[in-house]
Amino acid sequence: MAAVQDTAVAVGTGASSRPAAQGRLARIWARHGAGYMFLLPWLIGFFGLTLGPAIASLYLSFTNFDLIRAPEWIGTANYARIATADPKFAAAVKVTFLYVVLSVPFKLAFALLVAILLDRGVRGLTVYRAIFYLPSLLGGSVAIAVLWRQLFAGDGLINSLLAQFGIEGPSWISHPDYSIWTLVVLSVWQFGSPMIIFLAGLRQIPTDMYEAASLDGASRFRQFYKITLPLLTPVIFFNAVVQTIDAFKAFTPAFIISGGTGGPINSTLFYTLYLYQEAFGNFRMGYASALAWILVLIIGLFTAFSFLTSRYWVHYDD
Amino acid sequence: MTHKISRRNVLAGGAALLSMSALAPAFAQEARLRVLWWGSQARADRTNKVNQLFQEQNSGVAVNGEFLGWGDYWPRLATQVAGRNAPDIIQMDYRYIVEYARRGALAPLDDYLGSVLQVEDFDQVQIKGGSVEGKLYGISLGANSAAMMVNAAAFEEAGVELPTPATTWEEMARIGAEITKAGKRKGFYGLSDGSAVEPLLENWLRQRGKALFTADGKIAYDADDATEWFAMWQKMREEKACVPPDIQALDQYNVETSPLSLGKAAASFAHSNQFVAYQGINKDKLALRSHPLIEKDAKGGHYRKPSMFFSVSAQTKDPELGAKYVNFFVKDPKAAEILGVERGVPESAAVREKLASTLDELGRAMLDYVSGLGALAGDLPPPPPSGAGEAEFALRNVAEQVGFGQLDAKQGGEALVNEVSQILARG
Repeated sequence: MAAVQDTAVAVGTGASSRPAAQGRLARIWARHGAGYMFLLPWLIGFFGLTLGPAIASLYLSFTNFDLIRAPEWIGTANYARIATADPKFAAAVKVTFLYVVLSVPFKLAFALLVAILLDRGVRGLTVYRAIFYLPSLLGGSVAIAVLWRQLFAGDGLINSLLAQFGIEGPSWISHPDYSIWTLVVLSVWQFGSPMIIFLAGLRQIPTDMYEAASLDGASRFRQFYKITLPLLTPVIFFNAVVQTIDAFKAFTPAFIISGGTGGPINSTLFYTLYLYQEAFGNFRMGYASALAWILVLIIGLFTAFSFLTSRYWVHYDD
Repeated sequence: MTHKISRRNVLAGGAALLSMSALAPAFAQEARLRVLWWGSQARADRTNKVNQLFQEQNSGVAVNGEFLGWGDYWPRLATQVAGRNAPDIIQMDYRYIVEYARRGALAPLDDYLGSVLQVEDFDQVQIKGGSVEGKLYGISLGANSAAMMVNAAAFEEAGVELPTPATTWEEMARIGAEITKAGKRKGFYGLSDGSAVEPLLENWLRQRGKALFTADGKIAYDADDATEWFAMWQKMREEKACVPPDIQALDQYNVETSPLSLGKAAASFAHSNQFVAYQGINKDKLALRSHPLIEKDAKGGHYRKPSMFFSVSAQTKDPELGAKYVNFFVKDPKAAEILGVERGVPESAAVREKLASTLDELGRAMLDYVSGLGALAGDLPPPPPSGAGEAEFALRNVAEQVGFGQLDAKQGGEALVNEVSQILARG
């Protein structure tokens, strides 16, 4: 970090006299060139595949662009339509918020529970860790979403199991009252990555604190409530922010489970799915770009809100 | 050290390239045609064989074929066209031809008519179907028509007669309820719920003398029509003539997920050229039937629709070669034999005649269905306007709201007409 700042200063001051600057550039190159060469693949990726397209999409969001004809500048008309005249936008925001609000807390609670169980000196911990992490690796994939569709279909495995207990299950994925829950359960099932991070966080908590607490006669629950939870708040905060952003961007499960429609009756119309429909189904790339930037704004606001409130509940050691 | 290795690598790489170009003559060809289509593996096998044949007969031309499923096809095509990387030959649908032609993505083919393109013995209505604003942008690869796929075995089990071209909707509802009531199979109903199926609604509207869209791209039915439509299906749901809404919602409107294929219903609504695919994944024997009539002696709502087109990209280097390829595809007797009626019934009278004797039972049934519609078939409606894809989504959404009881038939009818009008106004 310090080295990077150094070079920035050097470039800034050296620009006045040319030969000196060249000398400096050569020196910088000699010192840091190898580093930048190693960074090059990432830099190309960042500028070519992330920043460039992002700027292009910002421009396109002010245009009418059907992918084939040249974009036509229409000012803020796309944003005006989003704000005032798009009932599907409202539906998509509602579904997405519902999904975030349901899936993130459930997922984090479950991840924490499993992490605590695993932290209690289980034999073969690494094996369990790997097994529990697997769904997270696979979870975003199309194959798992297809499998999920099979499991939760009207005559799928879940309802066959329920039938053993004499319960007649609904068609989970094709009834508007239940379909979002199917997606929430799928999301909670992918608890692996927050779980690993929780596990690391739990390992950071000094064991002497627990020893001292149990000497003082604190119960297991009290120890968890008074020691584990407060000391874990930075990790909880990190996981909450990352998972919230992820949930806002969720696409694949809804796309597969609803067959790309977001149905039945828009009940699985995730924001990104709606964006995709507008871009590639209805050839409104400009409008979809505007939708994308609204999503950036929403995620930004949520994250900023999280950081602002974090000072009231996140405890750092120092 | 690194220096030496890299030089050796370059040499080896160069040698590899040389040997590859010797092995794959495609790289050395003067002209290359890229062909993109949607469809199943079976379609791909047939198409690739025809491509091979075209290559053999036209030395110096390499044909590269590529195919995708319907859902992935349109995003891919749109991005390729936008990226100035469009395939030379594009399989085009009736729904999208206006969108692509108007945006200048397709090459007009009028100049090649009579020379490279010899489609004089085509049904002229179908040629017109490939025209947008007076110019020809697509050559129909076959004709089909909306149809009912009927599980003949299930009908027999339930002790009911198969529907005939004279069967009315009223009778169909009664038959459906009887099959459900017979209860020969678990969780099995008479009909799939067709309230969200646009071609079925279109057929019903046409029997009433209406249509989905006017020639200038506006909605061509009113809230009363739509209300009556939803009410009819509401009644069928109540009488258990069709599947309940949560089963219907599993239908992604393709062959694999229709209630018929899922073993939930004895009849589903689709297009005739899908008959081969439907029979392929259904164990029971299926039959192909026309849509029910709104009343005895009503005029039919069917029409012979171009199942799909081949269009030539406006970005192609050699549009004449493209036209030549398309002509080969629809006219060459050997190609016709390979292709069969998998893309619909061929448009060329000569090809049709030649093909008739070579078809298997399924192909025969399709040919007979499409050419035997007789008085049930009327004029081809104009190509759907921009926004038609979105209008279809709207129909599905409203039909589901009515199905799940969130709206009654009247509210549904008004909501649908409202939404579709707005979508079409936006274009």
